[in-house]
Amino acid sequence: METTNPMRPYLGTLVGVKDLATDIKLFQVELNDSQACERFTYLPGQFAFLSAFGVGEAPFGLASIPSRGPALDFAIAKVGTVTAALHAMEEGSIVGVRGPMGNCFPMEEIKGKNVIVLGGGIGGAPLRPVIHTILDQREDYGHLTILWAARHPSLLVFTDEYDDWRAAPRTELHLTVDQGDESWTDNVGLITELLEKVAPSPENAVTITCGPPIMIKFVMLTLQKLGFTAEQMITTLEAKMKCGIGKCGRCNLGEKFVCVDGPVFTYTEISQFLESFV
Amino acid sequence: MKATTRKDLIAWLTRLMEEYTVIAPAVVGDNVLYKRVASTDEIAFDFTRTDMSPKEHFFPDTQAILAITKGHGEVSLAEPPLEREQVVFGVRPCDARGLKVLDALLLEHQPADAYYAERREKTTLIGLACPEMWPGCFCTSLDSAPDEAGDMDAMLTEAGDSYLVQIVTKKGEDLAASLPLSKASQKRPQPKLSSESASVPSQEVWRQHFDDGVWARLADRCLSCRVCTYVCPTCRCFDVRDDVTQSGVEGSVIQRLRAWDSCLSEGYRRIAGGHDPRPTKMQRLRNRFYCKFHYCPQDFGPVACVGCGRCIVACPVSIDIAEMLGDVARLVDET
Amino acid sequence: MSESMETTIRDRARDLLEQEEVHCVIGYERGPRGDVRPAFIYQAEDAERLVWNQECGHNLVVYLHDRKLPLRKGEEPPRVAIVAKPCDVRALNVLLHEGQVARERVFVIGIACPGMWEDGEGSPLQARCRRCKERVPVLYDTLVGEPPEVEDVEEDWADLAELEAMTAEERLAFWVQEFQRCIRCYACRQACPGCYCYECVAEQVDPAWMGIAIDLPEVFFYHVMRAYHLAGRCVECDACERACPVGIPLSLLNRKIAKEVADLFGYRSGGDPQTPPPLATFKRDEDLPL
Repeated sequence: METTNPMRPYLGTLVGVKDLATDIKLFQVELNDSQACERFTYLPGQFAFLSAFGVGEAPFGLASIPSRGPALDFAIAKVGTVTAALHAMEEGSIVGVRGPMGNCFPMEEIKGKNVIVLGGGIGGAPLRPVIHTILDQREDYGHLTILWAARHPSLLVFTDEYDDWRAAPRTELHLTVDQGDESWTDNVGLITELLEKVAPSPENAVTITCGPPIMIKFVMLTLQKLGFTAEQMITTLEAKMKCGIGKCGRCNLGEKFVCVDGPVFTYTEISQFLESFV
Repeated sequence: MKATTRKDLIAWLTRLMEEYTVIAPAVVGDNVLYKRVASTDEIAFDFTRTDMSPKEHFFPDTQAILAITKGHGEVSLAEPPLEREQVVFGVRPCDARGLKVLDALLLEHQPADAYYAERREKTTLIGLACPEMWPGCFCTSLDSAPDEAGDMDAMLTEAGDSYLVQIVTKKGEDLAASLPLSKASQKRPQPKLSSESASVPSQEVWRQHFDDGVWARLADRCLSCRVCTYVCPTCRCFDVRDDVTQSGVEGSVIQRLRAWDSCLSEGYRRIAGGHDPRPTKMQRLRNRFYCKFHYCPQDFGPVACVGCGRCIVACPVSIDIAEMLGDVARLVDET
Repeated sequence: MSESMETTIRDRARDLLEQEEVHCVIGYERGPRGDVRPAFIYQAEDAERLVWNQECGHNLVVYLHDRKLPLRKGEEPPRVAIVAKPCDVRALNVLLHEGQVARERVFVIGIACPGMWEDGEGSPLQARCRRCKERVPVLYDTLVGEPPEVEDVEEDWADLAELEAMTAEERLAFWVQEFQRCIRCYACRQACPGCYCYECVAEQVDPAWMGIAIDLPEVFFYHVMRAYHLAGRCVECDACERACPVGIPLSLLNRKIAKEVADLFGYRSGGDPQTPPPLATFKRDEDLPL
């Protein structure tokens, strides 16, 4: 068996480990083998499996874009055994990477449109490549509206980038938390409430949402109320996975596999699923 | 039609054991299972249907898919050694069809499953036609037959003291080159068919009846015991987890294991953090049947059931896949 | 006798459902292939499906595990009726001890039991029935059938004699040989009324008490662990052994431990809903024979 074995990871080194929020860290991985680096071309929306050797592996959205550097960024919350093992690692540790996997956001197709990005908590991670792509090719896209939410200010991700986002032309950033703290002066409330307040126009627009399943569900409903069609609503879903390549049979929603038919889906597709993702 | 004698067959199998891993039906306690045999004495020539399918010889219940060594800040990976050539003797048409289904599920869409691919490539299937259909069998309802040779490399049909031999593929021809064959002096006996049948509903029917109460009623008695998944020739869900086999100051030796799992397991879809899109027993049982009869045909082509009847026999609470198909077909009549 | 018991069970079920005293009656029915299987009756008119005979071997108490929760948020859990043989009722007592089921939520249709056949009509009774001393459940809301004549039952623990005559090495070799066949399907656990953990030790990831391999060290650990978790709780109904697809004699393992508990504590599980199991009881002045 050669390296065409899709269950065999590339070896990578943690070149950066940074605290993003409470129990959320940004891991930056560079693949050790230069051939692997060349093979690993990825697009916004794709994901990869990270191995904490000795514990196991799990899928994580890629939070970087190749044009901004060789490192693969992953924003990871500590919720289980693999993530706990990753959180215990320091820079220089060796991890495994399998990927890139999945489909991608239709960044080409949405050129010229206004883009509304809605991120809830750690759901912001796979949306960061969308924001970076638009900022780096600013003229190719219309107005960018970012709605960014978390349960608490200590759980907001990429806070060090907010000024850059706000500073970009034709770009606005709105923040909200379920519950503020002493220093919080911005919106308090659910992202759906913020969405109704901002009320972006569906005219020549697409929405890209990511967050907990229940948030995605209610954001979709609110967007519909605001006049967005199912085809204008794009989201990315997560599921428990073991292979990421459509073999282990686990991540299906009806006849669609989140790993190969997704993780990016339009609401049109989601409404045709036999099973609910919530 | 060619034929060989039982004596010649046994001698041939014995010779094969020198070069190949020969797997054949063998008695193990109260069961008959496809096992590696070291002598033809171990072969249960008069078996009916084995209790487990031969899929474990292509998709093992436990397999180390990677060998990992960690130490001094370094990690190295190694893949398992190459597999030995195998011969599975005594494969029934339903199980051969089961392997064709697994081929569609594991090999058709890139990237293919490298481990299954290797074993499949290195195995020759020498089948044995069924003399009759047994209780629970309904292969004839799923485009197969007790004497269907098309999914094997060669098929033998017992006829008195001899076996009629059908060569199907080049692989079968090559392996059977050392089996003495003569012109058959009789016609191939026809298997006794049973009156059991199951009507497989159309894809549209499955789509329409996803929310019908029939699934909750069926799930009531399901124990989520998962025996059906494990005896099934086409079920292939698996789990992957690292297993530290040695650990010390110098580092650790780890095996990344792949093992059978079942979509019926409670928590099958629960992610760290707690979300579970399939929390009820009904949803999981329904998913298993839909996977077999709706999702697999949509995604990969074949229906993922071969009518072998093992799940019908094994289920401790008599959940009957053929009966279920009849229930679904009846739903159409009622609407 | 069987026929009139069957009629009585159907009548009781019909009444309970008509009077909306229960949401569901859990009993037995005969499937189209002829084998007896668990039945869930929700409508009075379906009570006709219920049967009673000596093939009604399943321990239906296992189904109380997933009837603990309300059907809808904010409501009470549903009340169910259950057809229960003496061994099944012992299992119910264990669940009552452990607070898994509220007594008022279960209507017990107790059966005076003639014993279950091993393999269809005319075959001998199952081993557990041959050794059964009680043919009337110790707890019920209604009793169906007349207490049968109890045969001269074998002395307790005779089935363990061969095992107990083995040396420790022989006994280990015996169990290794039996567990070789185990495919770790967990049918034994799923069929067991006493196994209701939300997350089984065998499947826990954090900590990972055991790996996922379907191999001897793991399956050995699983079976011994499960047997010990059932110590003082197992009611020896043998549902586990009957569910096993590869015929592992789990009864021997569970009964051996039950015998140890009986010898140490003078306790057999499920005898009544009040006496708590010894291994879940702490007594300051415990006097154990050592």
